[in-house]
Amino acid sequence: MAVKKRFPYRAAFVACNGGCRADCPYGCIACGACVDACKFGAVSLNEHGVAEVDEDKCIACGACVRKCPQGIISLHDCANSIAVKCANKAAGKEARSQCEVSCIGCGICEKICTAGAIKVTENLSVIDERYCLSCGQCAVKCPRHAIYDLRGVLTEKR
Amino acid sequence: MARFTVNGASVTVEKNQKLIRYLRDELHLTSVKDGCSEGACGACTVIIDGETCRACTPFTDSLDGKHIITVEGLSDYEQKLYTYAYGEAGAVQCGFCIPGMVMCTKALLDKNPDPTEEEIRYALRNNYCRCTGYVKIIAAVKLAAQIRRSGAPIPAASETDWKLGSSVHRLDVEEKVLGYGKYPDDWYLDGMVYGSAVRSKYARARVLSIDTSKAKALDGVIGVFTAEDIPAEGVNKIGHLEKDQYTLIPVGGLTHYLGDAVALVAAKDQETLEKAKKLVRVEYEVLPVVNGPESAMAPDAPCVFEEKEDNIQAHKHVSRGDASGAIARSKYVLSRHYETPWTEHAFLEPECCVSYIDDDGDVMLLTTDQSSHTTLHECTALLGNHKVKVENQLIGGGFGGKEDMSVQHHAALLTYLTGLPVKVKLSRAESLLIHPKRHPFWMDFTIGCDENGIIQGVKAKVYSDTGAFASLGGPVLERACTHAAGPYAYENFEIEGTAYYTNNPPAGAFRGFGVTQTCFAMESLLNEMADMVGISPWEIRYRNAIRPGGVLPNGQIVGAETGLVETLEAVREEYEAALAAGKPVGLACAMKNAGVGVGIPDWGRCKLVVEDDGKLHIYSGASCIGQGLGTVLVQMIVTNTKLCRDQIVYERSNTWIAPDSGDTSGSRQTLVTGEACRRACEKFNAAYTGNLRDLIGREFVGEYLAKTDPLGADIPNPVSHVAYGYATQVCILDAKTGMIEKMIAAHDVGKAVNPRACEGQIEGGVVMSMGYALRERYPIDKDTCKPIDKYGSLGLFRSHELPEIEAIVVDKPGLDVACGAIGIGEITAIPTAPAIADAYFRLNGERQTSLPLHNTPYERKW
Repeated sequence: MAVKKRFPYRAAFVACNGGCRADCPYGCIACGACVDACKFGAVSLNEHGVAEVDEDKCIACGACVRKCPQGIISLHDCANSIAVKCANKAAGKEARSQCEVSCIGCGICEKICTAGAIKVTENLSVIDERYCLSCGQCAVKCPRHAIYDLRGVLTEKR
Repeated sequence: MARFTVNGASVTVEKNQKLIRYLRDELHLTSVKDGCSEGACGACTVIIDGETCRACTPFTDSLDGKHIITVEGLSDYEQKLYTYAYGEAGAVQCGFCIPGMVMCTKALLDKNPDPTEEEIRYALRNNYCRCTGYVKIIAAVKLAAQIRRSGAPIPAASETDWKLGSSVHRLDVEEKVLGYGKYPDDWYLDGMVYGSAVRSKYARARVLSIDTSKAKALDGVIGVFTAEDIPAEGVNKIGHLEKDQYTLIPVGGLTHYLGDAVALVAAKDQETLEKAKKLVRVEYEVLPVVNGPESAMAPDAPCVFEEKEDNIQAHKHVSRGDASGAIARSKYVLSRHYETPWTEHAFLEPECCVSYIDDDGDVMLLTTDQSSHTTLHECTALLGNHKVKVENQLIGGGFGGKEDMSVQHHAALLTYLTGLPVKVKLSRAESLLIHPKRHPFWMDFTIGCDENGIIQGVKAKVYSDTGAFASLGGPVLERACTHAAGPYAYENFEIEGTAYYTNNPPAGAFRGFGVTQTCFAMESLLNEMADMVGISPWEIRYRNAIRPGGVLPNGQIVGAETGLVETLEAVREEYEAALAAGKPVGLACAMKNAGVGVGIPDWGRCKLVVEDDGKLHIYSGASCIGQGLGTVLVQMIVTNTKLCRDQIVYERSNTWIAPDSGDTSGSRQTLVTGEACRRACEKFNAAYTGNLRDLIGREFVGEYLAKTDPLGADIPNPVSHVAYGYATQVCILDAKTGMIEKMIAAHDVGKAVNPRACEGQIEGGVVMSMGYALRERYPIDKDTCKPIDKYGSLGLFRSHELPEIEAIVVDKPGLDVACGAIGIGEITAIPTAPAIADAYFRLNGERQTSLPLHNTPYERKW
């Protein structure tokens, strides 16, 4: 359905990329609560069994954010294409063993960020979109490929 | 290895490297400007598969199969469209951000042919511009979209007569929009090597030894040099006025800040250069730092310069009348302490110099600085009067930060010592550390007024941190003191100021030159006084305003051109309407000198030469740092001769044909060089009979001395400055959101040479000082004296954060030089902060006495 959205556009964002190889207690569990909650058909489960949002359909109503039992869906500014697709708060070694593309809190992104927009909190990289310049230096440098350019220019789309 | 296309052509890139390095260094697509190489500025923005992307972010190996477009790859139609739209809107100043902005424009319009203003702001928001305040860039995008949608042919410029008062397109629009205009970094000379300095590891330490052997042994290193290699005997220290800036710290010498150079390295490429710098071994005896004025003035403070007795760099005392007595007799008296922070210029183009030995055997310097002649004087001294030539290239912004030597002297030295073409460019981190910043000030002000709010007297004591070398610390302090009184007519004024050396980065010239600081104090105090007296901030200024024929607190009788009252009247209606609507409104005024003044010989010089092409070429040793001096001079000539635009060629400032016309500083070029140009026109007119070809080979030189009296001259009414600009700015807040709804800036400019360019100056100054008032900072670590921030975290305003800005250009005739034109460069940034501070007081009842303001929606919590 066509929904008139108000600029600047916002959309739901799922902080998991589905590289799970052991039991990651933080990421998407493919419960489908978000898919059911969305009235606009904007959320689906992808081939990794991870929820994914179609930003064109999403109106940022926040229904999926409220329903997610893992608390890994948030609303973000669509103009900010650089995002951490991970919610893993385990310490480095453990985070590494739980997932192939997990954030291990190494802090390279925080160090390289020219805008001071990234802070590693609880072993997890967090981008403050108010200050992010969407340059993507963090995405290019992330040794774990946990930070994405959602447009697919600097990294694979997912 | 990767294969992708660049502007439609397939390329194979063997070596994995940052895209910007490949596009610039190998393909020489120099529209892709290198402003920071760390993702902050956006000047290198290109389009990859339809999306904007900074070229300094991706590695080439990651781009296999992608399609990359730079400004060079725009279609002919697009090139003409953007050149027209940016020119017509007046969107181009220094031009360094412009190709990146053009890429953002194209990417937006390709997807969204009819964007709203907010969508345009968002499309530009990751790209910084420090000159324009974005207003006219946004207008250019709107205009381009409209023409593109209509399918109509690209129209002709709306104003074309090039006389004073005509908003013609600036003469450098095309080269800046299309990116072919050359800044120094855009030169790639045959056999060119790269030079850079090894900086001190400690802000204050004694250099015990320097071992260059390992660095010299590295393959690809051309040479490693230390203070011993400086050719002129006994010359190491340079500097604008005071020679206290070391070119290289010698063994046994003290370092003064982290930017001091210890050794210079030249290498065949940039990678080798960085490796070699790390191989230079320096032994230090680390000493305690002097980290601010408080520690500098302590009785047992170590001296930043061991050759001096204390840390006082400058001391000024200005007094007229009897301030203490007048304040004691006043009905209303207020005393307050104010503080203002360090501010970084953040011009988009980092310092760069390319040097080589020319056909005459001279060291030729291609520079980005605020005076080619100042660079000449500094470098000839350093090389022992070896023959030197300097030519300005395009200059990507200065704002005062490019007045001192940063790379020029090092480039000159390296070329002199190696005989090779050398490029010395500062990284953005070096730039943030090295060029002098805006001085932080600590200020105590007392004002006394009578029952009607008429100022009886003002007394102040201020001190500043001038950092690791003098730069223009003395004159900045002087201007802070001479202008602290404000643009008001009263007799009793006294101020004492002191500038202290510390081991912090140096402080020097910055748009406003000390006045941005004392104006914040004086205007804030006046706003509080208005409340005390029970009249409006507008009314207290209107009552005290200096008017033609009146006497300023410095004793100067001002001329017929004095337009402070007109600027107050220009904002009155909107100011009162906003008050009546119950909105929080703040207001402040300012004055700023045009010309160096205070008795310093201030020469403007301009040479008009009819060359073999049958055109009149303008040569003046005056730098256009983005403000548009070339356009001003052409408009001056078209107005004062019978020539038309096409018969005139503007040449960039150099030192071998163009006569010295002083630094681009003190808002002086429009007036001082403008008048010299007008005088040259008179001589030309006497010879011109209707055919330029009859005059081929002839030169017409105009000179103008802006004569003033020294500070404290023992005469009743000394002329401190040949002219002043005046301004009133208003800040209106949205009471619900606490955001700025509108800024109104009315500026008296005498005669506006190019009204649209004037507006651009005003908008740029207002936005720059919104940053100063609300968010910008330049924190320095107390233990190491190291600046903490990067370019992207300085807090500069971005395009989507701006309120509406209304620039009002007030023309007021009366000045009898330069056809009445008064410079506007600095004053645009001066009254903004106190106006904003007052508006927030009206909103939340808290009077803030230091900047940046806290408790605003713009505040950034780091």
